Amino acid sequence: MTIALSILVDGVAYGMILFMISVGLSVTMGLMRIVNLAHGGFALLGGAFAHVLTVWYSVPFIAALAISVTAVTFLAIPLERLVYRRIYRFGELEQVLATIGIVFVVIAGVNLFLGSTLLPIRMPPEVSSPVDIGFKVLPLHRIIVILAGLAVVAALYLLVEQTRFGIYLRAAVDNQDTAASLGINTSKVYLAAFALGAALAAIGGILGAELLPIEAYYPLRYMVLFLIVVAVGGLGSIVGSFLAALSLGILDTAGRYLLPDMGTIFFFLAITALLAVRPNGLLVKPS
Amino acid sequence: MSRESTIDNVRTSLPIAKTHWPLVFLTLGACAAFLLFPYDLGFMTRILIMMVFVISFDLILGYAGIATLGHAAMYGCGAYAAGLFAVHISPDPLLGLASGAAMGALIAFVSGLLLMRAHGLSLLMLSIAVTMVLQEIASKARDVTGGADGLTGISMGPILGVFEFDFIGKTAYWYAFCALFVILALLRILVASPFGLALRGIKDSSSRMRAIGTPVYWRKVTAYVIAGAIAGIAGALSAQITSLVSVEVFNFALSAEVMVMLVLGGSGRLYGALIGTLVFMTVHHVAASIDPFNWLFAIGFMVLGIVFFLPDGLISLPKRIRRMIGAVR
Amino acid sequence: MRQLRWGLFASSFAVLAFAGAASAETIKVGVIATFSGPNAIWGKQFREAIQVYAAEHGTEVNGNTVEFIYKDVGGPNPDASKAAAQELLIREGVKYLAGFDFTPNAMAVAPLINQAKVPAVIFNAATSAINEQSEYFLRTSFTLWQVTVPIAQWAADNGAKKVITAVTDYNPGVDAESAFVSAFEEKGGTIVDKIRMPLQTTDFAPFMQRIKNSGADAVFAFLPAGPATFAFTKAYNENGLKEAGITFYGTGETDETTIDALGDQAIGLTTAYHYSGVHDSDLNRSFTAKLEEMFPQSRANLASVGAYDGVHLIYKMIEAAGTDGEKAIESSKGLSWESPRGLISIDPDSRHVIQNVYIRRVERAENGSLVNREFDTVENVPDLGFSR
Repeated sequence: MTIALSILVDGVAYGMILFMISVGLSVTMGLMRIVNLAHGGFALLGGAFAHVLTVWYSVPFIAALAISVTAVTFLAIPLERLVYRRIYRFGELEQVLATIGIVFVVIAGVNLFLGSTLLPIRMPPEVSSPVDIGFKVLPLHRIIVILAGLAVVAALYLLVEQTRFGIYLRAAVDNQDTAASLGINTSKVYLAAFALGAALAAIGGILGAELLPIEAYYPLRYMVLFLIVVAVGGLGSIVGSFLAALSLGILDTAGRYLLPDMGTIFFFLAITALLAVRPNGLLVKPS
Repeated sequence: MSRESTIDNVRTSLPIAKTHWPLVFLTLGACAAFLLFPYDLGFMTRILIMMVFVISFDLILGYAGIATLGHAAMYGCGAYAAGLFAVHISPDPLLGLASGAAMGALIAFVSGLLLMRAHGLSLLMLSIAVTMVLQEIASKARDVTGGADGLTGISMGPILGVFEFDFIGKTAYWYAFCALFVILALLRILVASPFGLALRGIKDSSSRMRAIGTPVYWRKVTAYVIAGAIAGIAGALSAQITSLVSVEVFNFALSAEVMVMLVLGGSGRLYGALIGTLVFMTVHHVAASIDPFNWLFAIGFMVLGIVFFLPDGLISLPKRIRRMIGAVR
Repeated sequence: MRQLRWGLFASSFAVLAFAGAASAETIKVGVIATFSGPNAIWGKQFREAIQVYAAEHGTEVNGNTVEFIYKDVGGPNPDASKAAAQELLIREGVKYLAGFDFTPNAMAVAPLINQAKVPAVIFNAATSAINEQSEYFLRTSFTLWQVTVPIAQWAADNGAKKVITAVTDYNPGVDAESAFVSAFEEKGGTIVDKIRMPLQTTDFAPFMQRIKNSGADAVFAFLPAGPATFAFTKAYNENGLKEAGITFYGTGETDETTIDALGDQAIGLTTAYHYSGVHDSDLNRSFTAKLEEMFPQSRANLASVGAYDGVHLIYKMIEAAGTDGEKAIESSKGLSWESPRGLISIDPDSRHVIQNVYIRRVERAENGSLVNREFDTVENVPDLGFSR
């Protein structure tokens, strides 16, 4: 019983980190339908800014988070205007190539300025203190990430499903020409959505850094992990990604508790089975 | 991705198959490289092996339109098969290649039964998952594979009982070249055959092909198995020439690089795969030896430049230039 | 015709190059390592230590100029390693090979150095079995058995009764586990559980729970340096293992190049290793001072000292045997000298370094950075894993 509870708690905590690091990708790849392999690049940039601010300049963590996310967002805007607008129209393969090219350049840039070693983000010591929740101990930052994840999924759900922006975005992705002829400024909608995706990537990179530490090769090292969450969640569904991240977190954690020796094999076989049954994501029944 | 219709493809593909200039060029190029760069045989052999690997990927991505990120699965299985074959059964290189091909084909068939039903993102993820599982198995089966230390003890006999593998790597170079030449020649016949045309048809519109009675699924599985056998040969070549197999053969990065090289060169044309591999590996090698810390900039900007200015890959460069000259006139 | 002429042109160059190498004015040493990609730190540490040694001792040995040529292989990549070695041996005519951060990269050159009779000095790769692959392999780093057996024995002598091992599930991890378990049980200790963690693990919380539930009073861990060690030590603190009084024993987890990233949570971790950047000796102080002077951002770690001593060994071999590989290997056997890590010598049987293994604890030094402070010594440990 304790084991089951432990799996649940650790699994949810891990799943929430998976959600945070991949939610930006569910926006750019899921909603906007660009094969955005550069997602991890934005997370890396966010983490690198946060590292420089907290370690070099001793900026308090919260302020560093805010500044880094803003900085990444403002970097994303010219990038969208100059580069990504053309990428939208590419075929999938060309998108893969273009965004992987961007990843290479981002990695090389971080490597040039900060080297290839770990780039820790300094947090207040209380954040890493253990909290006793009765039957087990949980680090405080996991609880913070769980709360942040819940807030992000709620806010995104409202934004996409309930606001005018969400309607515009979905219309623009479905059919750009029709959306434009209805008076929607699709170019601005895309820009806003892209900047949102980049900002979320940066937040995820920083909050997830306790588990997936920031270093120059971060975008390549964890690319498979981001993609799995979005694929299992299904394209176009934030809630799907959320549920996928939680289930994958629980699944992986269960594997580590119960079958530690077979860990990775179990995890990937489970994903294979899942995708074979639900090729379009958890929430979509195959037609 | 391809804006041309099937009819156009048929029209352009048939005459190509009749001319033998490309194979002649390849041979001349290999001879010239052999004479010009006598000290880089090791590196050039790696390029040739990678070319074999990338053309196998072209068959499924470029011709049949099947995009995967797990092509290293077959490469790795071929490498381990050839390595183990050499250690336990026979040091004969050609039999070793056959064992690599058989293993690549087998793993492609088993995984292909599942993969070829999937599309898009879930196909990408399934192919990654298969490779990850294989890598984990190879890493855990230390008694058989040597795990992370690598499979050692591979020593090769002479090819056809005559050509010994030499220190400088001349034999290895020509061995890899012959493998590439034969595979390329066979693939040229294959892609111009009714089977090859069916693959192109599936890429353009699988529903139309289904409507005219083509067993789309089985055609794709067959293509995947053939590509798997060739990828297995590439892995086997690497195992035999390096005399060592490490679990890195299943790396995700390898599968991703293969895709980059192919799209860079131009997919759906066998020579695009060769040019993409040659350019990618050479730029990588040269940039890494000039500035190992920052070579990734060179690769990144090259990839971006090509995707923005030569969307059909490097192979479309001559056509582009001709068009530009024409426009000036 | 034209190609033929180029070919002749190129081959005449080849003859010239070989002739140049034979006259032995300049003795070339090829360094094969990782200078790019996520593991580029290895190559960087190697190169800097080599340059420090050359700055201190000059580049001339017995009238010959020693020249180092660096080749990048981008990580564990035996294909690239073998091709690089071929190129170095044939084009550059190197008489010594060196470097080798990853085991497969070293294994792949074994047939070549056997044929060419060229000594290869391994600066890092720590699998015992490498030196069995060729008589021409020498090693100035460590092996997992060499550093793990001492920590197991020391733990048993210093109050550890029940230990749980937690290692990454790949060859080095399994080596470390076998070494620890056999040595600890020999001393009468109890291993309560053995955990093997998948290489891909990013979240260690489940393993922390298992360690806690096992009732062990200490955990012995082995993980690859970098993100995995970072996440593991974080999890060790954050899940209350430290608070619960479970001691951490390790080996290279507290590497000088990543230790500051671990932060305060690393303080108090106990490890056994052959080198600490703050080893208390004059030679080490002058070595680290010179390194800091030449490369202000750098810190000496195991890779630095492996390369520094490796170069020393190569200089000694050149002194004794010039470019004769066979003679060089013979001359190296039993050689002993003072290294920044203490007195070391080359074991004639395993061609591996015999050295002290130090027990250290992580502390914050006066200048604010974290260091491994040595407080106990296990003297003259050979490679305990050789031909096991």
